[in-house]
Amino acid sequence: MLNSFFTLLIVFAFCVQSTAQTCNLNISGRLTDETTSKPIVYGNVFIKELKLGSVSDTAGNFKIQGVCPGNYHLVISHIGCETIEYFLNLRNDTVMGISLDHNHHHLHEVSITAKLKERSIQESQTIGKQDLEENGDKNLSTLLDQMSGVSSIKNGSGIAKPVVHGLYGNRLAIMNNGVAQSGQQWGVDHSPEIDPLSANEITVIKGVGAVEYQGNSLGSVILVEPSRIKREPHLHGSGNYFFESNGLGNVLHFSLQQYKNVGLEIGWKVDATVKKSGDNRSPNYYLRNTGNEEANVALQFEKAIRKNWIMDAYLSSFNAKPGVLRGAHIGNLTDLDEAFNRSEPFFTQDKFSYEIEAPRQQVNHHLMKLHSMYFITPNQKLEFTYAVQLNQRKEFDVRRGGRSDIPTLSLDQVSNFGEVKYLSDFGENWEFKTGVQVNHTDNTNVPETNILPLIPNYVAIEYGAFGILAKAWDKTTFEIGGRYDLENRNVATISNSVPRSIVKYSNSYSNFSAMSGVSQQLIKNWKLLGNIGFANRNPEVNELYSNGLHQGVSGIELGEVTLRPEQSLKGTLSLKGKVKNKLFFEALGYYQVIEDYIFLNPSNEVRLTIRGAFPVFKYEQTNASIYGLDFSTVYQITSHLETKIQYSYLKGDDNSQGIPLIFMPANNLYGALTYDVKNWNLGRGKWENIELQVNNRFVFEQMHILPSQDFIQTPKAYNLIGAKVSAERQVGKFRFNFYLRAENILNTVYRDYLNRQRYFADDLGVNIIAGINAKF
Amino acid sequence: MRLLLLSFAIVFVSCKKDDPLTPTLPTIPNQEEVITTLNYTLTAPNGDVVLFSFKDVDGDGGNAPVIVNGALDTNLTYSGKIELLNETVSPAEDITEEVKEEGDEHQIFYQFSNPDLGTTYTDADANGKPIGVSTQLITKGTFSSTLTITLRHTPDKNASDVASGDISNAGGETDIEVTFDVDVK
Repeated sequence: MLNSFFTLLIVFAFCVQSTAQTCNLNISGRLTDETTSKPIVYGNVFIKELKLGSVSDTAGNFKIQGVCPGNYHLVISHIGCETIEYFLNLRNDTVMGISLDHNHHHLHEVSITAKLKERSIQESQTIGKQDLEENGDKNLSTLLDQMSGVSSIKNGSGIAKPVVHGLYGNRLAIMNNGVAQSGQQWGVDHSPEIDPLSANEITVIKGVGAVEYQGNSLGSVILVEPSRIKREPHLHGSGNYFFESNGLGNVLHFSLQQYKNVGLEIGWKVDATVKKSGDNRSPNYYLRNTGNEEANVALQFEKAIRKNWIMDAYLSSFNAKPGVLRGAHIGNLTDLDEAFNRSEPFFTQDKFSYEIEAPRQQVNHHLMKLHSMYFITPNQKLEFTYAVQLNQRKEFDVRRGGRSDIPTLSLDQVSNFGEVKYLSDFGENWEFKTGVQVNHTDNTNVPETNILPLIPNYVAIEYGAFGILAKAWDKTTFEIGGRYDLENRNVATISNSVPRSIVKYSNSYSNFSAMSGVSQQLIKNWKLLGNIGFANRNPEVNELYSNGLHQGVSGIELGEVTLRPEQSLKGTLSLKGKVKNKLFFEALGYYQVIEDYIFLNPSNEVRLTIRGAFPVFKYEQTNASIYGLDFSTVYQITSHLETKIQYSYLKGDDNSQGIPLIFMPANNLYGALTYDVKNWNLGRGKWENIELQVNNRFVFEQMHILPSQDFIQTPKAYNLIGAKVSAERQVGKFRFNFYLRAENILNTVYRDYLNRQRYFADDLGVNIIAGINAKF
Repeated sequence: MRLLLLSFAIVFVSCKKDDPLTPTLPTIPNQEEVITTLNYTLTAPNGDVVLFSFKDVDGDGGNAPVIVNGALDTNLTYSGKIELLNETVSPAEDITEEVKEEGDEHQIFYQFSNPDLGTTYTDADANGKPIGVSTQLITKGTFSSTLTITLRHTPDKNASDVASGDISNAGGETDIEVTFDVDVK
């Protein structure tokens, strides 16, 4: 069982001494499937410079003989795998262990991994680099909601939060490059401040408990990971530009990287993205003020101090200015009622505009992470991480007296995180991982708004420790882990009564969580996975202390200072496998009970203010359960034609009151038919990896809700048709990828239950995205 | 172990503030934009004044607002005046001026439950459209009615019937919506 860093280690460390300077060096090794650890037969290993290669045998072994010392690029490929390129500085006979991600092309879901140290055996799904590039118009959340069991809570098209198995915000941890994303995650209209274009892959762990990670999670985790810098002395890079028709959006992304050998080996990588889009269009009208501007940059450095000691640094800056639909800015329930009954939103204009005015948001998020990895032995390593994040969020509303440029919400948050982790392989396939973490968060309202703040100032300090033990047998893998957390929070808020004064609170929470999982191979290529986990979430400051009018939803929200932590017990059971290499499938069922689930309960009270009467919502606790099924399957009809079907079912209940939970994703069904051609000679050039796809998404009406639980009836079911064409072409040193994607081709008028803009406007109409990506 | 963790934590945060465990004290805002009070004065030709008032000094939460209703004499022409105050600051700030200055972005609407009562606008913004700070009210017959006074920010003043006081097509955000009981005797 090879781990990715283990693979790396073998590549770099296991060089067998031999006579140098003559052309008799050997490159040998073994190709294995990353998923199953089985040998890959008939895999190609090819030295680009020498046009010399080898094919792996039935045991996965390959050997290239008689090579001169020098620098080479190895190209490793196999049908159905993502081709990888590898740089090698050949001095001696070299033995390599290479694992290929065999199911990449077929079904992301099957690539559940045996890499225990990097991922647990909890359910996970990954989106790779190519998909990220071809969907660059999407944000972190809308990228992920293509997966079964994942959806988005949106506030228009530009602002979206991921929802996994019905949970979002503070119940879902987002790990950006190994660090829990800080910021104002409690807000349903606050997008995670992450640029997916700078990521190499994004993984959703549909888990039962995130014992390894600090921060609030009741099970699921989203991991955003940048690629490691290639150990490659030449400058490599890529550029990606695309245009989207809806909103006339233009996006440019580039990336450059190099591993320099100037006495000290230093690798560097830079990623930058600029985005600008204007008013989106629903099928019948422009959505005024829904443009977005974004400029992001990420820098990565890596230095190998010794063969067994690597230091790296990651700096990123995310800066966004999304607009909010002008017609969604309302004063009271009368306005809301009027907005429902209009055929098009107030303030709708006949023309397109790039202008972004109030209501809008301005978000800046900066991250600096220092990380060091030290191999005590090839089987033991220590990792140190220190990260600091600065999050600034300003929200602007339409205000009187020329005050629209003064934010109504202005929050600064600084968080400092430190972690020490120890990982070890021992005995017969035993693995052990442990670590301690500390996180300090300082949240401050910038006193520029001249209105009472929505959430208080606070300082929180969290200590955590965890341990995970795993053991792999021939067909079975077992994992068990536990975690302890202590959080102390000091809060300073402004009183609700006049004269205003400052009120202080202190909370302390101490929690244990635990999880366990088993993976069992049943028959050849069939695998059963079971996980169970117990997790906690401390009440968030908005749930404890908010007091006042939440303008966007026209309700008065009252916090409750006596809220207790939520406690969750979740179990997942999944079966995945393939039949004759033609049919791949995965079915995942889950059941989660959450005791003391915190939610906004509409009370019977109506409060009279000068702006009219507002319903009062109180943060209360109940016992909730969420259960569902994620199913996906891929069937290879011919060698060129495959079909994919995906279905998500979810139901959430408030068991204490015997009513449904609000804001739960509607069930949905997705199907795609893909035709691919490896090569196509047309005139002078050769097109490669041509792919044509048509897809269809059907979203059911959310029926599991009572009419009294919403202001208006939930939106009807809808069906969206999309299509995609992509092809690659090599021109000199450059490899081009062209793609054309169309969404909502029929310009269907629809509204989505989880889009808060649905009270005011239709969702997006047809959108065509055309892009080009060049790599060298 | 706890001590080790604590010292670990303090290393990271100690350089920032004197006491890393105390939050920055919030600044109590000077809420200059808030409207706490609406006074609607109706003056009869003989100089008699009837006051309708809605006052909520502590804002959206806290104590209930104080509402003063009034009684009107029948067969009279009253001239109406709106006064908007922010009484969270001392001395109280007159918001009416701000509304008048941005007259093209504001309009006050008067809706009676009894169709026999109605106001007419006697003021205008820079574009000649009514603001609704100054109005006229003619009373006939004897009955009771409710009166809802609404201040809209950024209404569409060109939408049909808005200039004559019909709120239904106005749009914009509601800054004030208060309801009074009116007795005509």
